[in-house]
Amino acid sequence: MARMAMLIDASRCMACRGCQVACKQWNDLAGWSYSKTTNRGSYENPRRLSPQTWTRIKFIEYEGPERFQWLFLKEGCMHCGQAACVEVCPTGALKYGPLGIVTFQQELCNGCGYCSQFCPFHIPQLDVANKLTGQAKSSKCTFCQDRTTNELTPACVKTCPAAALFWGERHEMIAKGQERVAVLQTKRGFPNANLYGETELGGLGRLYVLTERPAHYGLPEHPASPVLSRLWQDLIQPLAEASFGVGVLVSIAAFFIARRNIRMEQVE
Amino acid sequence: MNFFLNGPEAGIQIRWIPRYSSLERFLHWGHAFTFLPLTLTGMVLFMPLLAPLARGEAGQFIRLIHRASAVLFVAVPIIYALLEPRRLLQTLRDLKFGKDDLDWVKGAFPYYLLGRHVAMPPQSRFNTGEKLNVVILVTGTVLFAITGAVMWFGRGLIPVELFQACVIIHDLTMIATVNMFIIHFYLAVVHPMMWQSLISMRYGYVSESYAREHHAKWFYGEERAKEMYAAEKAAQAKKEEMV
Repeated sequence: MARMAMLIDASRCMACRGCQVACKQWNDLAGWSYSKTTNRGSYENPRRLSPQTWTRIKFIEYEGPERFQWLFLKEGCMHCGQAACVEVCPTGALKYGPLGIVTFQQELCNGCGYCSQFCPFHIPQLDVANKLTGQAKSSKCTFCQDRTTNELTPACVKTCPAAALFWGERHEMIAKGQERVAVLQTKRGFPNANLYGETELGGLGRLYVLTERPAHYGLPEHPASPVLSRLWQDLIQPLAEASFGVGVLVSIAAFFIARRNIRMEQVE
Repeated sequence: MNFFLNGPEAGIQIRWIPRYSSLERFLHWGHAFTFLPLTLTGMVLFMPLLAPLARGEAGQFIRLIHRASAVLFVAVPIIYALLEPRRLLQTLRDLKFGKDDLDWVKGAFPYYLLGRHVAMPPQSRFNTGEKLNVVILVTGTVLFAITGAVMWFGRGLIPVELFQACVIIHDLTMIATVNMFIIHFYLAVVHPMMWQSLISMRYGYVSESYAREHHAKWFYGEERAKEMYAAEKAAQAKKEEMV
């Protein structure tokens, strides 16, 4: 099946936060326990992603060389083509789904929190019930895996009134994004407009049309999986298995050789 | 026959020499019996066969055992250090490696595997292998404790790079110590020649003859042991010449 993707046109987003509400509604996420509203001199709310907030609009006040801009970024899981979280997840709770999205099966999760520590975008959020015993569960945007695998669009896309969110086959979304970037650059006066996520980390499932450089949105210009996330599966696991196997086999062999050669009556 | 000729004092007489204090044995077995559950629970992340145990509720429970064992694993050496600090320092000071240790490693293969009765360089209370085991286990315990505590209490508070480094160091330490454990278990428990070593870790004593043979520096003192080793080697060389 063709890889699917979400296209987020940040130039069209008006920060109504309808997507935040639709996400909570569809995924049955609690509202207030994690995010009491406090006035911090910004309309941004809540202030960060949480185990109960899988997507949110980040408000950035950017004073560029030409003019002031209010930048809006719809945060959430990027669904990387090469996802560090999938590489480090020891339980298989995080997997590559059939649509090329990173699915999450919460009942498999044991709350180790590796995903939250290895994700280059710091997306997965750990809900720690008990710091001492480590009772915890991870959570993140799943592109509404229960909807999208049934040929529906994610809840946030469905609700967006500004037509800033799109869902479709990834190559189509890329074409659409590039088209929009060209329009922004030539006709709308955004020379720095760009498409984010086309090639990064094996291609992101979440594509952004941005009016300014990614860094101004707080996105890494060249995101990379942490080197250590590859080390785990590529080096440490095979090294452990091989060395223990060799160690035990050599011990057994050595035992039989020693038993043949050593005369017990000489042993003190 | 001996008994009738020489009376009840004859027969086989074994002089037992104290080798480990009771606290040292508490340290050894306390550490061993917390190391095992730690290894077994840690293995769920490494053995594909055990992978189902890492998932969901089972995984949460396994982590609970791992953490409870970890507390004891770190507590045992601390308790020991508080109760016998001078003996501990003495032991750590004895962990010096020299030319004799290199020769011991060279001689270990024919001696322990092929059962050749070659002259082995004299050893102090711990032989080279035992010293290596102590060095790796002590270093490993410190690394386990630091990286484990950082991952346990520091997640979310410390930079992610530090957390990632702790995961990797914890794993590499595990590989080093578990391999050391396999070798240690083989030599101390499985190997036919070393049964007295196991007995001494249980009861605290070794026989005089075992101490002479395997821990000459400890039994005779450094100088005398070296002289005897030189003499034994010379005798062996002569014997080989004659053959």
